[in-house]
Amino acid sequence: MTNSFTNCLSAEWIKKRRSFSSWLVVVGACFIPLILTIMFLVYPKQILDLHHSGQFWRILQLRSWETMSIILLPMGIVLAVSLITQIEFKNNMWKQLHTAPVPFSSIYFSKLVLILLMLAQLFVLFNIATYVSVWIPALLNRDVPFPLYAINGTDVLKENGAYFIASLPLISLQFAISLQFKNFLVPIGAGLVLVVGGIIAHSWKYVYMLPPAYTALHFGEASGSTKHTDHNLTLWALGYFVVFVIIGYLLYVNRKEKG
Amino acid sequence: MYCVHTTALSHRFSASQQVLKEIELAVPTGSIYGFLGPNGAGKTTTLRLLLGLIKKQQGEILLFDQPLHLHRLQLLRQTGSMIEVPSLYGHLTAKENLLIWQKLYQCPKPHIAEALQIVGLADTGNKRVRQFSLGMKQRLSIATAILHQPALLILDEPTNGLDPYGIIEMRDLLKTLNTQHGITIVISSHLLAEIEKLVTHTGIISAGRIVFQGTLNELVSRQQSESQMILQTANNTEAAQIVKTFVSDVVINAQHISMPLLSKEKIAALHRALVQHKIDVYEMNAIKKELETIFMELINQTKHD
Repeated sequence: MTNSFTNCLSAEWIKKRRSFSSWLVVVGACFIPLILTIMFLVYPKQILDLHHSGQFWRILQLRSWETMSIILLPMGIVLAVSLITQIEFKNNMWKQLHTAPVPFSSIYFSKLVLILLMLAQLFVLFNIATYVSVWIPALLNRDVPFPLYAINGTDVLKENGAYFIASLPLISLQFAISLQFKNFLVPIGAGLVLVVGGIIAHSWKYVYMLPPAYTALHFGEASGSTKHTDHNLTLWALGYFVVFVIIGYLLYVNRKEKG
Repeated sequence: MYCVHTTALSHRFSASQQVLKEIELAVPTGSIYGFLGPNGAGKTTTLRLLLGLIKKQQGEILLFDQPLHLHRLQLLRQTGSMIEVPSLYGHLTAKENLLIWQKLYQCPKPHIAEALQIVGLADTGNKRVRQFSLGMKQRLSIATAILHQPALLILDEPTNGLDPYGIIEMRDLLKTLNTQHGITIVISSHLLAEIEKLVTHTGIISAGRIVFQGTLNELVSRQQSESQMILQTANNTEAAQIVKTFVSDVVINAQHISMPLLSKEKIAALHRALVQHKIDVYEMNAIKKELETIFMELINQTKHD
């Protein structure tokens, strides 16, 4: 079982080569840092203010996560997860995959783990690109000093970990939906409705029950701009994740026709 | 010994739509089994059931004498398949496609080069599969199916969409796999002419029922038994009396006498007898039924049942 799972996972890793989803990870990770770089080059005062703030890395991190957590990350999850499952639908591969001598659980969980690895890849690239975004202006503009402040690695890991956990319910829900529909527009449409719904419900008192809003809610808490709820979002996110993974697996494994 | 054996295999998609009715498939080990039938007869559904792609509702499926539902993974390890259109990852190269299956089948890496060599795709390099011709895609699908050196190959209409040259190429490839690698092959088609030069055994399915199953020779014998001879002479009435000494089933028409096809020896003897009786023979002709006609009659017989 473990052997078939690792083999499935490495097969999944090969499948994502040159796929749209793998490009999406790179583009998604570099988009906000690229905007920041351009902004710091055009308006050097912005980066100088960061230097004067005394909390250079913390404020930079908040600025880079702001748009990412509210819109780009949820939208990116919807798109990337749908694209991953679409690789099988588009190439008419489900039937072939289901004749391989591997358990259905290995197929399901290897895809899910691949998506989680891609999310981790996105976060690593995003952090590196954010770091680079403040070095490039310092290299190109003599008036901008180099950010030689120590980075609190624990803080960065904690924050990234919190966003990662906050992303899990949307990933598992989108994964469950995407496995059910051949037509790419259906999971994409459903996912976008969920994300937009999460944004609209941002100030609703029960927003803590809406998984697509979790990354934005975490940003609100991290930036101190909003304190939505006394509920533990991490526990809610992990709970939803487990429930959606189980439902998704049962729907997948009980399909009458496997391709 | 049978490589594939089904008993009373029935399947319905809905209460009113029964697609398979008590299918008894018997594929001898080492054979090339042509599974024939018109479109919609139930070929693909049967093959999907054999591969576990559809949940079995009724009956028994044995692969290598073991029930599929109890030993699915173990049996799939010995089986290669291609169902309908080729299933390949278009954004990857041929080698990358096979690398995926090498991981899934857990077979040695050198099998990739061997499989590509067998199907004649060793030199495709970095070309993406989406740029391949249909024939190349079909061959790569076969390479996928034989990568783990299976004992059984299940192919659903592998010649669909191929040009005549591609069909001949595919036929040669399958013959090689059968004779040199000892792989039992189940190949479905809706055209008898397309596979009659390839198969050793046939099963004909029509409207969800098996209407014929046996060796190709048995089908050919049936063809001969259903063929006729036509005789036209200067005196058909007198000639018919002579013919009746050779064969009882004689029909006299206005123009000619028809009878079942006789052996070469009997034809010569009949001819001698007619000449001895001074009856002028105008025409003595064997009207052989084409295999295709037998096939169509078998199918139509079920449709009208």
